[in-house]
Amino acid sequence: MTLTDRQQLSYIASQAADARLNVELETEGMTLNIGPQHPATHGTLRIICRLDGEQVVWAEPVAGYMHRGYEKLTEVRTFPQVTTLVNRIDWLGSFANEVPFILAAEKLMEIEAPPRAQVIRTILFELSRIANVSLFLGDLGVQMGAITPVFLAFRDREYILNLIEGATGGRFHPNFDRIGGLKDDLPKGWIEETRGAVKKLEQFCDTIDDLLFGNEIFQSRMRGIGIIPADIAKDYGLSGANARASGIDWDLRRDQDIPLSYDLADWKVWTHPDGDSWARCWIRLQETRESCKIVTQLLDQIPAGPVMTKVPRIIKVPEGEAWVSTENPLGEMGYYVVSKGGLGPFRVKIRSASFNNISIVPWALKGVYVPDVITILASLYFILGDIDR
Amino acid sequence: MAPLSDDTTTQDAPGADAPAALPGDGLREGIIDNLRSHIGDAIVDTKITPNDDLWIRVSTEAWLSTGQALKDAGFTYFCFLSGLDWMPSPYGTSEEDPDDEPKEPDTEIVQGYTGGETRFQVFARLTDLNRHVGVTIKADVPDDRLVMESWSHLFAGANWHERECHEMYGIGFDNHPDLRNMYLPGDFEGYPLRKDFPLLARMVKPWPGIVDVEPMPAEDEAEAPVDEKGDES
Amino acid sequence: MGLVDKGRLPAPLTKLFNMSRSYSLWVYQWGLACCAIEMGAAFGSPRYDVMRLGVIPLPASPRQADFVCVSGTVTDKMAPAVKRLWEQMPEPKYAISMGSCANCGGPYWDSYSVTKGVDQIIPIDVYVPGCPPRPEALLEGIVLLQQRIKNEDMAAKWRGDEFTTLQRTRAMEAGEVDRDGELINEPTDPTPEMAQAADSVQPEPIVVGGGPIE
Repeated sequence: MTLTDRQQLSYIASQAADARLNVELETEGMTLNIGPQHPATHGTLRIICRLDGEQVVWAEPVAGYMHRGYEKLTEVRTFPQVTTLVNRIDWLGSFANEVPFILAAEKLMEIEAPPRAQVIRTILFELSRIANVSLFLGDLGVQMGAITPVFLAFRDREYILNLIEGATGGRFHPNFDRIGGLKDDLPKGWIEETRGAVKKLEQFCDTIDDLLFGNEIFQSRMRGIGIIPADIAKDYGLSGANARASGIDWDLRRDQDIPLSYDLADWKVWTHPDGDSWARCWIRLQETRESCKIVTQLLDQIPAGPVMTKVPRIIKVPEGEAWVSTENPLGEMGYYVVSKGGLGPFRVKIRSASFNNISIVPWALKGVYVPDVITILASLYFILGDIDR
Repeated sequence: MAPLSDDTTTQDAPGADAPAALPGDGLREGIIDNLRSHIGDAIVDTKITPNDDLWIRVSTEAWLSTGQALKDAGFTYFCFLSGLDWMPSPYGTSEEDPDDEPKEPDTEIVQGYTGGETRFQVFARLTDLNRHVGVTIKADVPDDRLVMESWSHLFAGANWHERECHEMYGIGFDNHPDLRNMYLPGDFEGYPLRKDFPLLARMVKPWPGIVDVEPMPAEDEAEAPVDEKGDES
Repeated sequence: MGLVDKGRLPAPLTKLFNMSRSYSLWVYQWGLACCAIEMGAAFGSPRYDVMRLGVIPLPASPRQADFVCVSGTVTDKMAPAVKRLWEQMPEPKYAISMGSCANCGGPYWDSYSVTKGVDQIIPIDVYVPGCPPRPEALLEGIVLLQQRIKNEDMAAKWRGDEFTTLQRTRAMEAGEVDRDGELINEPTDPTPEMAQAADSVQPEPIVVGGGPIE
């Protein structure tokens, strides 16, 4: 895209001009500390930037302010207790955290959930994706300085949270997945409610499209900023919308064979060749719309049947190791579960998406201006619980 | 489900431009053969679950060259890198009822898939995005010198993962540019994810164990509570 | 305020000040983890609107805030920052601890890096239990805090005496103060212990769903 090339060239030229000016004025470097408490970071992330004038020379994220020791805690809990705990890693899209863990345990036990449970799991998974990314779209405005979208996001997210609460009992942290299926069946009237709520979310996506993405200020702040080429993205392990915005055509919902019902719906994977902040945000908007489509299609196809296979009441998972990863709202989230035949796991390695997504920040922030620091972080989209576990 | 063939067939790894095909065992066997052609008999053990997943254990000295060989073979996506401590926890897993008499703690170190000879192992996962296949690579960490070669010049993302592995297990990484704590404050003592690092809150107040049915308040004298104790088989 | 320093404040004036203070609270959101989202829903969404209680969410800095709402897990690495935030806030200040992680460590009670309750670092006035508590529960906590503020005796607080009715009732039962709140036995010289005790007069914390309400 020539627009991007031109913008890139002018950006580089302005950087060079500023460098010359800094040398003439003999400005000293300044250390700017963003966080750990800052309205723009999604939680307690601290970024130390060393500046030369307005440009960042060196940036370093300091994580660990929300480190709760998940991997150690899972070693002393049983599988259902770990399910409860694991909800809170990515605390916006909370059902999505349980699913890969339960799938790994089911893989070790060599059982599969019944078809009805699989479809409902997929629906709840996509609903948590919509809930997660709609807040991201709202927060995008706040990080630019536009406060209104976040109120719209909270308002429209309430519809989804009501649905999840109606089905599972918890607005977030539902703790609804069980080894072998789900805890309960859906309540009466839930399917109709979901259809209505999903329509409202589609309207929300259109509103954000008009309000934010069509805005000239937003475009000039996001286009051409924070370009991440595809091979650097793969080196760092960027996943999810961040990878697809750099042109990597990879989506774990389509490209792997796990017992979730994505093949029952007709949907598409969005990619973008540019790899800049604009592309990352735009892909997430399109993915939210796509999720709404998936949910609408799957609601018509829920088969009848039980929601839980026959499993013993006290579950002991046989010995073995299993790795399952899914396309979570933030990226690829996976669990490597090592079991020794007990009531709880022996070791669980939690591969969280934001850890890899943020490891690229030192590379991505070299040479950018200070306001762009916030927009690049905003477009990479992380949640602190996911980085720090 | 295609049976696991134990001799190399002519069905080698399908071309990199066929992403729609489901990978069969020939794919994973082809990966192992390709790796063997690069590092020879540094491959200590492998395990394939058909049409599902692949584990390879390599010798400690070949850790870096394995990564290089796999990256050249198409595994360009770095998923994660971490450590494993195979010693059973000397504090138990808190599934036992603390009122029981304490059992003999199990001290035998038993490694998982693809075996191992040491207490600590490092393992990493790489994915090939074109063929949609992933591989888990493991290597022993020698007991007397807990140091491995660093992958951070090979995969830039390994930098942070190795820092976390170092602070959690105490495994050093040679040639790592900046090995300091990732999560824990600078003055934290100990390596938390090692099995002999105790969780002090559980030492002070142990979890009451698995209780199957809580007795109703009026019933405790009438009925003995049904207790299911989680026995380690 | 000379009146307050020298003697007692006339009751109608106290009532007026307390009422206006309780209905114009500026809350500093120290949102750390999942509870921050429910706090955001309580403060930012039109359904659980907190502004109808007179509480405004976004102060520009902690030095302009009336109370802080700590929501989410406090880790040992984050604890010094919480302490520094608390010290930056000017009196009169209050604190609400939202969520079970901030109350007592919550689901991470056995973790090596979690502070088991933010009340180890700052004094808390209201505990809101839940994981996460519903926005309505947080609003209930704010309403109870407002009730407490309305019943405060500002002059006594600034002097360091017992200033909530609950404390005064207990002190009366112990025989230390008379009906008007005056000390029965005026000490000639305040001993260092008494000065220290006056400094550390802490009100009884409120727990949403239980506990004393005055």
